[in-house]
Amino acid sequence: MFTRGTLIYIGQRVVLIAFTVLAVSSIVFLGIHRLPGDALFNEHLHGEQYALLLHHYNLDQPLLTQYRDFVVAVVTRGDLGESLVNRGVKITPLVLRELGISVEVGAFALLFTIGIGLLFGVVASVRQNTWIDYVLSTTSVIGYSMPNFVIASFLILVFGVWLDNVTNGGFYYQLGGWKGDLGQLWLPAFALGFPYASIVARLTRASMLEVVRQDYIRTARAKGLRETVIVARHALRNALIPVITILGPLAIGIITGSVVIENLFGIPGLGKEFAQSILNRDYFIVIGVFTMYAAMVGLANLLVDMLYVVIDPRIRY
Amino acid sequence: MATAVARIADVTEPAQASLWSDAWRRLRRNRLALAAAIFLVFLVGIAILAIFYTPYRMSATGIAPTYAPPSLAHWLGADNLGRDQLSRLMIGAQISLVVGVGTQLLVVAVGVPLGLLAGYYRGWLDSVVTFVINVFYGVPDLLVALILVFLLGPSLANIIIAIVVTRWMDMARMVRGQTLALREREFIEAGRASGAKPVKMLFGHILPNALGPIIVQATFGVPAAILFEAFLSFLGAGVQQPTPSWGSMAKDGVDAIRFAPHMVIFPSIALSLTLMAFNFLGDGLRDALDPRQKR
Repeated sequence: MFTRGTLIYIGQRVVLIAFTVLAVSSIVFLGIHRLPGDALFNEHLHGEQYALLLHHYNLDQPLLTQYRDFVVAVVTRGDLGESLVNRGVKITPLVLRELGISVEVGAFALLFTIGIGLLFGVVASVRQNTWIDYVLSTTSVIGYSMPNFVIASFLILVFGVWLDNVTNGGFYYQLGGWKGDLGQLWLPAFALGFPYASIVARLTRASMLEVVRQDYIRTARAKGLRETVIVARHALRNALIPVITILGPLAIGIITGSVVIENLFGIPGLGKEFAQSILNRDYFIVIGVFTMYAAMVGLANLLVDMLYVVIDPRIRY
Repeated sequence: MATAVARIADVTEPAQASLWSDAWRRLRRNRLALAAAIFLVFLVGIAILAIFYTPYRMSATGIAPTYAPPSLAHWLGADNLGRDQLSRLMIGAQISLVVGVGTQLLVVAVGVPLGLLAGYYRGWLDSVVTFVINVFYGVPDLLVALILVFLLGPSLANIIIAIVVTRWMDMARMVRGQTLALREREFIEAGRASGAKPVKMLFGHILPNALGPIIVQATFGVPAAILFEAFLSFLGAGVQQPTPSWGSMAKDGVDAIRFAPHMVIFPSIALSLTLMAFNFLGDGLRDALDPRQKR
């Protein structure tokens, strides 16, 4: 499956991702110095103290020197510097910890999206042109047209306000909370994933309808296989190939969507940090979060491309 | 004898239907798309009306009790500063439509020529354009737009620019693909053989044949841009107060969700209905203009 050529290709892609990540963080680093406002401004420091603080953050150097030091620290030590607002907090461990939380929520959303999308798509195609098909197809267009924060607001309204007595406030994220908690994973995953689940369902339905008309499916029927086996083992596998094309945008959508969703549900992940650090003008953290995002998007794209090879043996790199 | 032949020809050859009249016929039969179109006409009407008339001034604070629920005087209630929600929603429609349509006009202006040139000349130009497209696909669009808005400053024009910068690739890629397919066809070869200039070939022969997919793509691009703007506004990087945007109204609503749910419900419904209408219309247009792509 993974020939030598494939491995070389993966190696090239990883190098490319590393360069992209460096380029993105450089652009953000240089761009951010043009932003108005200043995280240290609120401290009302003057004279020597202020100079000491600037020196602490290397901010008294010329911009190009700062940039050189930044790149050297990132490349050699993976050190993204220190928070401007919370003195002494190192950014690299901070964003890595938050990345873990975001990945947990995001991965769950991804599984949810694909699961629901495939289920709806297959059911709609098996029951083509019945009321089930119409209901599911209409639902998917509606779902596709709902912004994730609208879905999230309605979920909060229903589960957090109207059903407050039932859910007992147990729907906001709690560190180390029980994984079955609504707010822990289910509601954020639903809000993040539902628009994309609709797209997956539409694609699955369309490609299933193409596949079930082919001869090998008729052969399988003629052999007397049960319909569930035909759908699950024979049809779905080939119907999946077009669905994989959506996975790249899907992963990116979930990553960016988490910026809003994490803020709404109070999940202390990368997305919340991103919005928070921009508001606080904690620019070093903004750079760090951006670096993480660039790496994640690159890796997600690479994984999807590798998935093609696994599902469809005809594809080689 | 001659008259008989002519008569047979009259009977067997139906009146020529152009692409557009044919598409219009197909679109009319799609009731969902038609309903969406009617809703959008209504929305445009509201947006135009809002230029001349809103029930109250959209920025006037304290004309109702803060967080007042819907009432006869204020149909959709009031917000956290006691501003009339209906008036703000109407102005919000203006903002959304300007962003949606404005972005797509710019995307067409950027993406179509790039796609045409890359697809027609191929070679190094194509390689460069394709590479740039792939680079832009590789970065998370919403985050880049967010940073752009922060760098340029949040104004309506800058938001449109930020969305165009992160969203022009779909159009360019699609037009490039269409051009690649079209340039191999006989009528293009004939045009080239008869000495037509490249400009004439691109804009006189290839572009008209790619117009259907371009229109469909632009229609789907409008809701994407509106969603984008709502997302930016929701994060506080959209149009600035007191100008309302559906996204920032929903954000204000979320902050007050426990005691004033009407503040989040109405902007959310307006936003969802608008996006839905554009998507249904896009579906209808695709089926009507581009029958080969039919699902």
